[in-house]
Amino acid sequence: MQELAEMRQRLAELEASGARPAPSGALLDQADDAVRESVARYRSMFDGVPVGLYQTSSEGQILDANPALVKMLFYPDRETFLKAGAADVYVDPQSRERWQALMEREGVVPDFEMQMRRFDDSVIWVKDSARVVFDANGSVLYYEGALEDITERKGAEEALKQTMAELARSNAELEQFAYVASHDLQEPLRMVASYMQLLQRRYQGKLDADADEFIAYAVDGAKRMQALINDLLAYSRVSSRGKPFEPIDCEVVLDEALANLQMAIEESDAVIIRDPLPTVMADGTQLMQLFQNLIGNGIKFQNGRAPHVHVSTERQAGEWVFSVCDNGIGIDPRYHERVFAVFRRLHTREEYPGTGIGLAICKRIVERHGGRIWVESQSGEGSTFHFAIP
Amino acid sequence: MTSQRIGKPIEILLVEDNPGDVRLTLEVFKESKMHNNLSSVGDGVEALAFLRREGKYIQSPRPDLILLDLNLPKKDGREVLAEIKEDPDLRRIPVVVLTTSQAEQDVLRSYNLHANCYISKPIDLEQFITVVRSIEDFWLAIVKLPSR
Repeated sequence: MQELAEMRQRLAELEASGARPAPSGALLDQADDAVRESVARYRSMFDGVPVGLYQTSSEGQILDANPALVKMLFYPDRETFLKAGAADVYVDPQSRERWQALMEREGVVPDFEMQMRRFDDSVIWVKDSARVVFDANGSVLYYEGALEDITERKGAEEALKQTMAELARSNAELEQFAYVASHDLQEPLRMVASYMQLLQRRYQGKLDADADEFIAYAVDGAKRMQALINDLLAYSRVSSRGKPFEPIDCEVVLDEALANLQMAIEESDAVIIRDPLPTVMADGTQLMQLFQNLIGNGIKFQNGRAPHVHVSTERQAGEWVFSVCDNGIGIDPRYHERVFAVFRRLHTREEYPGTGIGLAICKRIVERHGGRIWVESQSGEGSTFHFAIP
Repeated sequence: MTSQRIGKPIEILLVEDNPGDVRLTLEVFKESKMHNNLSSVGDGVEALAFLRREGKYIQSPRPDLILLDLNLPKKDGREVLAEIKEDPDLRRIPVVVLTTSQAEQDVLRSYNLHANCYISKPIDLEQFITVVRSIEDFWLAIVKLPSR
């Protein structure tokens, strides 16, 4: 802009002085036309784009602004806007200072987000992308930049941030609630279960067959509820009692998990195949529980065959992908998501005992480690559980 | 080993505030082959009055064993434990902490206060019976206690 203005000025001076060099008159006319056309094209673009464009002096005085910017900031016309000072448009004087410092240091200010005051005193969020323009000698001529109204996006971001904060709070509350509820439920339930068992112990066979049956159902129900509450407590402890992450040798952790499963392994003649495992950043106790649950499932969900469980790992795109592969009964693909839900079971308790918390705990542990867990399986063809952690 | 006490019941003091637990413990001890007399008090203040034979407890027997819950009204089990173990006369009586608390700090604190042992009360009755039998076997039959 400035350069073109200067050129035009020089041309006008030359014309006025009549000192037009004769031989190149036509040529100069042509050049003049080209400059005029270029200026016109530039002006038309400047005036027409839907993005706010501006030029300011290094002192912050507005030199030029396009109609889009004048409109964005609600000024009645360009002239009024050019008279506005930095103090009029910057809501936070510090953001102007940070902008200036950045510009002086870097020569560009990319994607600078700030609030601006409009002519009617309302405030909008804008994104400013600006750069410094030098003259031939390297001294600052002016700054030029583009402003985009991002109020709507900012509003959405703000709303999202609030929703996230609320979600985190309500999650924490829910966790606390689950813990307290299950913990406090244990006491009265212990009374119910104990006295039911005492009734059974003292009066079994002394009342009548109905009484024996009723008491047996009550005892069974109380015991099951105790198991559920215990599992719910274990589930909520994954986050409430989690330990900080430290380098964990997965070999050692797997040893512990297999030691805990020793009875099940011996009783079922299970064969466990293990590949070398790495050291990862993790909560060792939880990682052990994860292995124990997955391998334990591989041993448990069988149809009379001797279980084969293969534990392996692979480095993929910056994370460790662990796999626990078994030769068990497999899982129909339509249940692949559901098996990870709390207390979700695919079989009756008579077929396979348990409350259905194991994989939910696995999922929670993996997620606490910033990872993912999933299963590949077909009904009747074994299952492979994978989990990836950084 | 219990021959010295033939004819004389073994005295046990249960410090427990939940009547359901008191009765349950009583019932389990009732099934015991060992001749025992279980007394119970519902809070820490009562427990110390019982042990020091104060007020209405002037006639109370000196227990051979104390079963102590930690969470009690008025004076809680930790304070009772501390006072018993500071008392030159009472400190010889073995104190079995029997509580539902599994908190690491309760275990540590109890032993620091010289509890003779710490037992987490099992949720299941059968297991509770096993625990009570073990307490009887160990503290009242195997262990040689000072005479009253």
